[in-house]
Order: sequence, then C-alpha cells, then structure tokens
Amino acid sequence: MQAVGLQTYIWNNNLRSIVLLAGFPVLLLVLLYAVQLVLLGTGFERLPYHGSLNDDFAYAMVATIQSLPLAIGVAAIWFVIAYFGNQTIIDLATGARPVERRDNPDLYNLLENLCISRGIKTPTLRIIDDPDLNAFASGLHEGQFSITVTQGLLDSLGRDELEAVLGHELTHIINRDVRTMIIAAVFAGIISLVAQVIARMLWFRGGDRDDRRGGGILMIVGIVAAAIAGLLAVVIRLAISRRREFIADAGSVELTKNPDAMISALQKVSGHAHLDAPEEVRGLFLENREDGLFGLFSTHPPIEARIAALVQYAGGRISEAPAPVARPAPVTAAPPSPTQGDPGPWGDHPTGPWG
Amino acid sequence: MALIVLVVILIVIGGLLAGVYNRLVGLRQNANQAFADIDVQLKQRQDLVPNLVETVKGYAAHEKGTLEAVTNARAAAAAAPNVEQRVQAENALSGALRQLFAVAEAYPDLKANAGFMQLQGELSDIENKLAAARRFFNNAVSEYNASIQQFPAVLLAGAMGFQQRPFFDLGENRATAEAAPQVKF
Repeated sequence: MQAVGLQTYIWNNNLRSIVLLAGFPVLLLVLLYAVQLVLLGTGFERLPYHGSLNDDFAYAMVATIQSLPLAIGVAAIWFVIAYFGNQTIIDLATGARPVERRDNPDLYNLLENLCISRGIKTPTLRIIDDPDLNAFASGLHEGQFSITVTQGLLDSLGRDELEAVLGHELTHIINRDVRTMIIAAVFAGIISLVAQVIARMLWFRGGDRDDRRGGGILMIVGIVAAAIAGLLAVVIRLAISRRREFIADAGSVELTKNPDAMISALQKVSGHAHLDAPEEVRGLFLENREDGLFGLFSTHPPIEARIAALVQYAGGRISEAPAPVARPAPVTAAPPSPTQGDPGPWGDHPTGPWG
Repeated sequence: MALIVLVVILIVIGGLLAGVYNRLVGLRQNANQAFADIDVQLKQRQDLVPNLVETVKGYAAHEKGTLEAVTNARAAAAAAPNVEQRVQAENALSGALRQLFAVAEAYPDLKANAGFMQLQGELSDIENKLAAARRFFNNAVSEYNASIQQFPAVLLAGAMGFQQRPFFDLGENRATAEAAPQVKF
C-alpha cells in the first residue's frame, strides 16, 4: 500500500528491506546450483550414469540440495566471526575515543533525552577528532551499542541539527540495522567469494576440458548464473543499506518531531562527509557519497532524495537560508508526486525513495 | 479440490483483513501517542500559570482583567471534558498569556524580575515544543485519516470502528500561534 505519511513510509521501507534480505538465500541457492553445473561441466564430478543434458541439470539440482547443509554450516561460521569481530574492527578502523557525561554534558544530555523518550539504555558516545562532518552507529547487542560523531559535526551543527543526527543514529540502533547490514555483508561476501572461486577454477582447468557432450553448455550456464548471483548480491546489499538510511531519517523525525532540523543537518553535511574507513564501515555512516553506476553501487541515497522524502512524508520545510555547502541548494522545486519515479529493478530507484 | 481452493481464498482474505486492521490500529495508536506528547507540554504550561500570575500581581496588581482572564482560561483548560473543548480552552489560554506578556511590557520592574524572566523563558520553550508536537500530531492524524480512506481499508474502516479524527486546530489565532511568543528584554 502506498505511503501517506511518516509511519506508513517507515512500514513500507521495512517491508522492502525484508523482501531484499529474502533475496540472499535465493541467490545462495542459485550459486550452489551454478557450482554443481560447473563441476559437472569440467568433468570434476561425473554422473553415476550416462544421461542426456537434461539429466545433468536434474542431477545438479539434487546435488545442490545435498550440499545445502555444508553451505549453511560455512555461512554460520562466517556469521560468528563477523559477529564477534565487529566492534574491534570498527574501533581499529576509525580511532574513536569514548566520551563521558562530564566531557561534553550538552551532547550527552541530548542523546539521553532521546533514549529516555524511547525507554532504551543510552549508548556509549564516541568522538573522532576529524574536521569532517559525519556520524555512525555501531554495536550488535545491548551494552555494545555506541554512537560516534566527528568533532567537525559538533563544531558546525546547531543544537537541533545535532539532535536530529543523534536521532538518525539512534534509529539505526533501535532498528538493529548494524546486525542487518552484517547479515547482508556476510551473504554478499560468501556469494562473491564463491563466484570468484568458480572463475579461478575455470581459469586453471581451462585447457583440461572434458570432451563429454554438453560439457561446455553446462559450464556456460553455470558461469553466467554465478556471475549474476555475485553481482546481484552486492546490489541487494547496497539497496538494503539505502533503505535503512531513509528509515533512519524518518525515525529521527519521529524522535525529535522536527523534520526541518534533519533537513538542514543533511544540507550542512552534504559534501563534507568524507572520512577514511573501510567500505563496510562507511556503509554505517550518516552520509557516504561515492559516484557509482546510476546509484546502484552507493551505500547511501543522494542527499537530495533524502530531503525530498522528508518533505513529502514528514512534512518538512526547506529553510531558505543558504546552507554552507559547496553545491547549490539541493531541492528547490515542490516534492514530486508519489506516482513519479519509476521503481528500478530492485524496487529502488536511485533518485527517489517512493513507489 | 474446490474445497481446498475455497479454504485458501478464505485464508488469504482473512489475512488481508487482519493486515488492514492491524495497520489502522497502529496508525490510530500513533496519533494517540502524538496527542499524549502535546498533552505533556500543555500540562506543564498549566503548572506554570499560577506562579506567573502571582509574580505579575506583585508588580501590576491593578491589571486585574488580564490576570483574571489568564486564571479563568487555565481553569477552563484544566476542566475541559473532551478533546475538542480542550483544544478550544488551550487556545484561549494561549491568547490570554500573550495578552499578559503584552501588558507586562509596560512594567520595567516586572520585566527585570529574575523569576519573571525565568518563567517567560520556560513558557517560550514550552510554546516551541508545543508547536513541534502539534505539527507531528497533525501529520499523524492526516496519515491516519488518509489510510482510512484508502482502498481496501475504506470498505471496512467504518464497520471496524475507525473514524476520521479532527486536527489540532488553532482556529483564528493560527498565524499568531505558529509564531513563538516574542521574548524582549
């Protein structure tokens, strides 16, 4: 159903995230099937009987199902490692220092008030000494949650804008987005790894091709399936990431009741958000802009689209005062109608959150 | 076979109904929650009024009419039996308070009083929060109202007891109420 306000907008985005997440197991299955096809095609694995090409495809399907427990086991181990390594990796990567109440009582109070209104434990606050404007949430379970902001953000943003940014990161924590993104990253990681292994395997066995009838066809089908699965896995992971950003913006407005502050904070951050970190960590940032192929490979939606969504669903107003950004004011026209913007292949159009 | 198809259709319809119902309940609760947020601010404002009246009395006792208007408006707001009258009474209180602060302009000693300045600051803060809470509430109500009118909810909303809700209307004073009270020193 079409979103008519903030709450329905959040529900729709959540539904879409779930649909996207459900795509990973499907992709994994496709990939396993591709592996079986390639194994058959290269003659690495031989049929127990001599059959037609159709028999080969059918056998690959059976073998896929037989190899499922192994695949699930590997995925589980991977998850455990990612789960326990998460916080350490982020700490090492960004060099953040924890902040106590006495160090910065204003900032701490802002966050604490937001937490009280939702009845959750206040996350640890951290500050990175960096002039750029960014923030991120981390942690996988109660007691580990933390929100990190840069010194540049504290210096440049007003009180309301800072509260909006904290609300954005707090919504990531409330929604357990870090966990969702780790699940997505692990799936995408496994799928691209296996796809690469298939490619290497063929590289080394290229001259030693089985001359059995249909071997080439099996291999081509397998390679194409693996390539598509590997690509889709990355695209889906990033599509989920962008969905979660839209939800966090909306959730911030729910917490602070102030869409205008979120809008002006985004305007200020825009173009000044660069912060060195590995790609997986950057996906958790307040803003992370990389020019990619039609927005399909970016972790965050364009600032313009985020502001347009806040105007349309949260009743935000864009202030006329020029924001201190290098680019011209992002959105000048009235928000487009909900029917505009044709949904892309993953129901995620790079220039518009609606649909 | 026909029976199975029938059962499946019934289950799908039942699931759809439950989904629509839960959605509307969620949105109604969302609006209620938003009104509760407004209520918190209104109550805080009511609590500040007696203090304010006492302070002003000390400096401008003969502004009886204005002071009484504030006291009466506060009593009416506290005693309002339903939401609509409540909204009306609170709007009247807003008007009376604005009047009081306008009158206070004529008393330099009052304006210099530390207690008065603090009360004025607190009230100004509450008015700001009220404006934000009211805006959020009206958004939630408009979302709820729109959802009731959407297909297929429109077929069932009436029968399930979901009715349109009124906005937190500011009546004629809208333009002045949207602007936060001015604090001059």
